Amino acid sequence: MKGHQIQSKIISMEVEVLDAVRQRTLDQFTEGPSVKESRLFFLLLPFFDGKNWSPEIESSAKTVSIVYAALHAHDQVREDVPIIKEQQLTVLAGDLYSGIYYQMLVNSKNIAMVQRLATAIIQVSEKKTSFFETAIRPIEETEEAITVIETELLISFYRFYNFSEYAPLAKQTLLYLRYADELKHLQSKNYTHFLRELNSNLVHEIYTEHWLMEKLDSLHRQILVSIGDCSLDHELAQFLLHQITPHQHRAEQLTREG
Amino acid sequence: MEKMKLKLLYSDLRPELEMIEKELEQAVDSESLLLNDASLHLLQAGGKRIRPVFVLLAGKFGDYNIDVMKRVAVPLELIHMASLVHDDVIDDSEIRRGQPTVKAQWNNSVAMYTGDFILARALEQITEIESPRVHEILSKTLIEVCRGEIIQIKDKYKLDQNLRDYFRRIKRKTALLISSSCELGALVSGTDEKTAAHLRRFGYFIGMSFQIIDDILDFTSTDEELGKPAGSDFIQGNITLPILCARKDPEIYTMLKANLNRDLSNEERLTVVRTIRNSSAIEEAKAMSERYLEKALRELSFLPKGQAVKTMRKIAFFIGKRNF
Repeated sequence: MKGHQIQSKIISMEVEVLDAVRQRTLDQFTEGPSVKESRLFFLLLPFFDGKNWSPEIESSAKTVSIVYAALHAHDQVREDVPIIKEQQLTVLAGDLYSGIYYQMLVNSKNIAMVQRLATAIIQVSEKKTSFFETAIRPIEETEEAITVIETELLISFYRFYNFSEYAPLAKQTLLYLRYADELKHLQSKNYTHFLRELNSNLVHEIYTEHWLMEKLDSLHRQILVSIGDCSLDHELAQFLLHQITPHQHRAEQLTREG
Repeated sequence: MEKMKLKLLYSDLRPELEMIEKELEQAVDSESLLLNDASLHLLQAGGKRIRPVFVLLAGKFGDYNIDVMKRVAVPLELIHMASLVHDDVIDDSEIRRGQPTVKAQWNNSVAMYTGDFILARALEQITEIESPRVHEILSKTLIEVCRGEIIQIKDKYKLDQNLRDYFRRIKRKTALLISSSCELGALVSGTDEKTAAHLRRFGYFIGMSFQIIDDILDFTSTDEELGKPAGSDFIQGNITLPILCARKDPEIYTMLKANLNRDLSNEERLTVVRTIRNSSAIEEAKAMSERYLEKALRELSFLPKGQAVKTMRKIAFFIGKRNF
């Protein structure tokens, strides 16, 4: 499959997801659902790679994307803001998307997938809440929490349809993208809960920056190995690498500056 | 006290409700201590458990098996709890049922994740039931409840909305979930379609009556009785039936318009509350609640006589007359 065909399929899936959750008031007052291209790429990866694909699987893939959007909406709820429409509707957007994913799977008679995703949401919610626990934990547990948050929904989808061979590659890439984002946040002194925890664990943010850069390097190497393990064709591998390239340049630049 | 009286009405369901209570506790069990605490905090703040009660009562018209009924009753209460914890973020509420809310005790994020966790637990449990019809009803209900809340926020501070908007909103906000509780209870116990339809309509009418009374109580109860400041609906811009009835008086309309969407002092808040309370709006709204109650009772008259109908009738009367 050519790069432009991959891109076109991702865009068409994105449009379908946005159409499924469209609601006039929410469109007007909220930032709208977050549908990340990288997640869509991994949801569609088995299809791109020529695996047995069906309308049911594609519909499930869409619902996974909707669940990500639902949970993301709730991440946007801020503390200590006055009662404003945007915040109130952001809460409801997440709830509405949850209802929509449930209904879509019910309509395609895929109750087992509802259950699988519900279990994944439980794990993700537990890990998100873990950033508000007061007890200090080892850095490996923080890493484990962020991995579950970023990848559990997708991995559940892979397990459900026997696509687990892509799980290592998806985990490494999504984690790579998350760490790259966190590095940007760190550079702009925009501290997320994850960064605050790393900073307190590693004592100073300079060590957090090194830790993130080392992780990015290591994940990049792992991604290259995993691409080989999955025997992805050249176009597909290039498309994937293209997604992480801008971040990689940034990491290399930071390494040089550092 | 009033909650105790309500619980006495369904005392014949006590063993089953105790079981449901234990199941609820187990359902919110989590490996995260914080989620566990927040969920239990919410659970232990209590509640009328009206949805599980209606599931169980509706089940009495079919092949009643508590092990099956609880698989619907527990998730429905969990769904209600999840919506409450998110509602408190939406309304920025510090107190619910006289207890600090999850958002007040912890923060907004913890409240959001607690709600997501509880809703997911509900779906995880109810998907043990394979009936597609159950899931069609429930998923549609979840979406409609959210749409109702979205419309409520869109319509906030709009004093010139019409009664139809209000009724459509409370249908989605409250009546649908109670109606679905009755219908799902009927479905999983295998009642015939006609009985299920009567139960669904009973739930809908009782839900409408229940919400109207709730909206009246926001003006007629004290802060202590409500566990929150009286007139909270008005302060938050929710235009409820008593307000819609009261606005017909031009003087009250002007006063309401002047006080809407601004920070009110305690005295100003109490003035609004007293004005509504002393107007004819309360009686008008009560009459509308009464009409829904009558419709609910009429639905019961089509059902086979027995203890379940008796209990449902008592609950209906109680809801219509309640003062908490």
